[in-house]
Amino acid sequence: MNILISYNWIKEYLDTDFSPEKFAKETTAVGNSVERIDRLSERFEKMVVGFVKKVKPHPNADKLKIAETDIGKETVEIICGGVNLSEGQRVVVGLPGAKVKWHGEGDLVELAKTKIRGVESFGMICAVEEIGFEKLPHGYHEIWDITELTSAKPGTSIAKALELDDTIFDIEVTSNRVDCMSIIGQAREGAVVTGKGLKGLKSLKGGKEVAHGFSRGWIEVKEPEFCPKYSAILIENVKVGPSPWWLQKRLLLAGHRPINNVVDITNYVLHEYGQPLHAFDADKLDGEKIIVRKAKKGEKMKALDGKTYEFSHDMLVIADVKKPIAVAGVMGGEETATTENTTRVLIESATFDPVSVRRTARALNLYSDSQLLFEKGLSTESIEPAIARAVELITELTGGRVASLIITEQAKSYEPRVFPFDTQKARKLMGIEMEDKKMIEILERLGFVVNQNDSTTPRLHDSMTFSVTVPYWRDHDIEAPVDFVEEIARVHGYENFPSIFPSGEIQLIQEDQAIKFQRRTREILKGAGFTEVYSYSFFSEKQLTEYGIKKEDAIVLRNPLSSEFEFMRPSLVPSMLTTVEQNQHRFPEADLFEIAPVYIPKKGDLPDEPLNLVMACYGKDGRELFLRSKGALARLMRELGINDWSLERSRDPADYIAHYHDGRLAGISIGKNYVGEIGQVSDMFVKNFGLDSACVLIDIREQDFFSKYTSVKSFKPIPQFPEVKRDLAFVLDEKIEYKMIEEKLGKISTLLEQIELFDVYRGKGVDEGKKSLAIHLSFRSNERTLESKEVDNEVEKIRRVLKEEFNAILRS
Amino acid sequence: MKAKLEQLKKDFEKILRDVKDRVALEEVKNEFLGRKGKFKTLLKDVVTLADEERRAIGKLANEVKDALETAYGQKETELDMRHPGFRLVQEWIDVTEPGKFSEEGHLHPTTQAISEITDIFARVGFTSVRAPEIDWDYYVFESLNMPKDHPARDDWETFFVDLPEGKKGKIVLTPHTSNSQVRVMETTKPPIRIININRTYRRQIDIKHLPMFHQFEGLMIDKNISVIHLKGILDYFAKTFFGPDRLTRLRPHHFRFTEPSFEVDITCEVCGGNENGNCRLCKGGWLELGGAGMVHPNVIKAGGLDPEVYSGFAFGWGVERTLMMREGIKIDDIRVLYKNDLRFVKQF
Repeated sequence: MNILISYNWIKEYLDTDFSPEKFAKETTAVGNSVERIDRLSERFEKMVVGFVKKVKPHPNADKLKIAETDIGKETVEIICGGVNLSEGQRVVVGLPGAKVKWHGEGDLVELAKTKIRGVESFGMICAVEEIGFEKLPHGYHEIWDITELTSAKPGTSIAKALELDDTIFDIEVTSNRVDCMSIIGQAREGAVVTGKGLKGLKSLKGGKEVAHGFSRGWIEVKEPEFCPKYSAILIENVKVGPSPWWLQKRLLLAGHRPINNVVDITNYVLHEYGQPLHAFDADKLDGEKIIVRKAKKGEKMKALDGKTYEFSHDMLVIADVKKPIAVAGVMGGEETATTENTTRVLIESATFDPVSVRRTARALNLYSDSQLLFEKGLSTESIEPAIARAVELITELTGGRVASLIITEQAKSYEPRVFPFDTQKARKLMGIEMEDKKMIEILERLGFVVNQNDSTTPRLHDSMTFSVTVPYWRDHDIEAPVDFVEEIARVHGYENFPSIFPSGEIQLIQEDQAIKFQRRTREILKGAGFTEVYSYSFFSEKQLTEYGIKKEDAIVLRNPLSSEFEFMRPSLVPSMLTTVEQNQHRFPEADLFEIAPVYIPKKGDLPDEPLNLVMACYGKDGRELFLRSKGALARLMRELGINDWSLERSRDPADYIAHYHDGRLAGISIGKNYVGEIGQVSDMFVKNFGLDSACVLIDIREQDFFSKYTSVKSFKPIPQFPEVKRDLAFVLDEKIEYKMIEEKLGKISTLLEQIELFDVYRGKGVDEGKKSLAIHLSFRSNERTLESKEVDNEVEKIRRVLKEEFNAILRS
Repeated sequence: MKAKLEQLKKDFEKILRDVKDRVALEEVKNEFLGRKGKFKTLLKDVVTLADEERRAIGKLANEVKDALETAYGQKETELDMRHPGFRLVQEWIDVTEPGKFSEEGHLHPTTQAISEITDIFARVGFTSVRAPEIDWDYYVFESLNMPKDHPARDDWETFFVDLPEGKKGKIVLTPHTSNSQVRVMETTKPPIRIININRTYRRQIDIKHLPMFHQFEGLMIDKNISVIHLKGILDYFAKTFFGPDRLTRLRPHHFRFTEPSFEVDITCEVCGGNENGNCRLCKGGWLELGGAGMVHPNVIKAGGLDPEVYSGFAFGWGVERTLMMREGIKIDDIRVLYKNDLRFVKQF
């Protein structure tokens, strides 16, 4: 979460002579990251107070006027379209060179002398949104009339005239440090780097009088667990109106919208002290009671944002006798808000359970500055200083009179948290030497109270143990002694820690084979010309059903982002087909692959997450694609060191038959284990997924493919005797599969070392339904050099088998 | 024999002087130095000589052969110089024609980043391990010191699987890779140095966020591990991955499972780390790399180890983010990473 912090405002509580840049750098180093520095003197450079002496009509445009404006050194003519422009006004003049936001939108634009509809204009008379104050209430097409805000002479810089000579830090605050979401919180952290203490903190003095009717019995907290403390004070005689400029300006620079003095004061204190307040119009409450309770189911309230919200019974509300008047910690109701007629104001300051506030806000989709702080956890002890400050401002700025004591309902009295602290352990975790004294000094600078444990306590080390009391503003984030180490280390400064390479024993963790081999697989496939894709693990129901997967075979999310992302995919194939479909027009042919886990439900346990591999070759000719895919598969297997793999027409095609072309499908096995399929996508799926191309898939789903089968390649001795080669060509029936021939020939000749199919021909010169095959035969013996005659005998045996068993006609 | 050799050399030099072109040169070379040339023929008789003489002649023969070859080489160069166009004309190719490719494959940039990160940590002894992507609440939150009502355990931030709760709680899609921490501690005795790179899931999708992205998680647990060691490893990684000139800083931050916790920043490459500039990429000269910290004693305890004896550090960063930061790539819409548009993937 971020907060805008004015350096001038900080200086009200902290003496500092640091430059803004130095302050930003040092506070970033101890934990509050300053992400942006806005130097207002730069923002308002070349903007001065102008005095409108005379307003003349523009000769060429009805809606524009010429303002003769005194800018100090001279009087210039400025073209202006502001509907409220009038003589005698003080205005903001952007001189040539000033940077403004056109109509409050977009990037800053640098002004130049320019002609507007034929008349020269010396700069611009600015509207509030044009100089970055869009939150200041203003009318449509109005220029900013600052007559009431300053009496500075024409030509005075705006930064000076409107007291805008400030620096604003945009600070990122980590979620555990909600105490830093305020001026005081930032001043406290600032004090740690400047080494100077805070000044001017408020405590309660007022509240002596007791108004009729407003007393202890007025507040009833029915849910002390969700509202550990609730305080309120009644102020009478309030006159509601606009806040003075200094207050409005502070709110604007902090990102708040000025509304009226009472509301502005609650926001001012929120920003200054980090404790939300709310102001009710006391006369609009029904019955003399504030009740903190759970909402009744179906109860409704119109909130300050103008929208009506319906509550459920687990939401905490603030109510009077009849109705809810605020969503606790989130937003007040419109009906009981302060208006210009309000005279009696009840100021609420409370703490609410962070979780309850967060869940209510999420469920209602209603967010506010208060809710942001409450849901991070505020201390019950920050209530009183905030009320004190609010009372001070209200009595000063609205004429209000304190009409009651602070009435407080609190379940149990505050006990500060105390933890033991062992300095030796701290040194060990930090890895640097630091004296106890230095550590204690840092903790004390941060507001911790450190006591040395008495000497009767047994000591573990040479060093002392201490007990440390946590200041109230840190009571939600300091949870254990180890947290003190962070406090000390960050203030000491991480740049002061050396950077040391750890030494130590060698660890013996077995390398995960799957990690190693899936990486090798990616590299092999890349080398084979494949392109890797990554798809989301999510699936839509449509993808599921289109691919014929049953719903119960997939993991379902309880809170998906959308119906597109409802399931976790149990197969990589549908995403791959979608990828093919999306690319087929730009790339008519491609070889793709993905390696990723799929998710298989397992009863009563976490799902299995086997790493799958899917490869897809798409293009025009299915037969050619099949061989290309198979070639890639063979190459992959060989390079992975898997020798005993084989393809067979699917053993149990039933499950997959719908997915593939029935004549172009084979099961892939390794040894006796079935690991997946290779096949051309069936016409049905081509249609379902909108493919215009033929596509051959290899889908390897075996759970342990990458860890179980891959292996280091083994060595076979290099043969000592030469091989003898012969070629054969023959024509046979189309349906006789090559594998059968290969297996048969391997059996009949012991000298035959290798058979290689080097040509397949169909067409002219070969009868329909036949094919011509040409093979290389390699013969070798490990004991001697083969003689030509022996080889001839072997070839003759082979020819005979081809003729007799396969009905082949030999061509040579 | 000696005289014959010297005569041969003289003859060769004389004939060579008159050679005018390469064809003639090759003829002369064959005549003298070829397989059946004068030099070989002359040397046939050497075997008949007595040992001592044979050695002397052999030496001379080698010298003569060297001389002949040198003379031939010089003549060849001389001819080429005199006819500079010879090779140009005869063997000219158009070198500007496109080269012939074998089909070029591509690895997704995420894979490339993962490999690189794995290697950098492997060099300093961090072993890659795997942890489930869909895991029990216990490993994802409970054992990592995240209280029951922590916002990350709400429906708005984390994906929950629609399955009944088990002994270890609900089943969730891991929003970070830190679920490996307690899992590894449960099965491995220190010293532990591991790296876990995996898919992670969060409930947001816009031009800056993906509902599925990758993280890498490092964990080191041993005796006497302290902040200075975390700094050592982070500096090593940053300088190896991003380049030796880049500086890092640790900025105090907050995570439930580490204490102290940091955000690790690195100097911006675009502006060179200018603290007062208005860089388009960074904040005040620094870019946020990711989170890190000393493993919380409660997490070490959950892993079954004694936090009085063991300490350690952990870090978990986004892979995609780290990659883009190095390349200085500003992808306007990060969702392009997993859309599988081949026009994108084939660039890598």
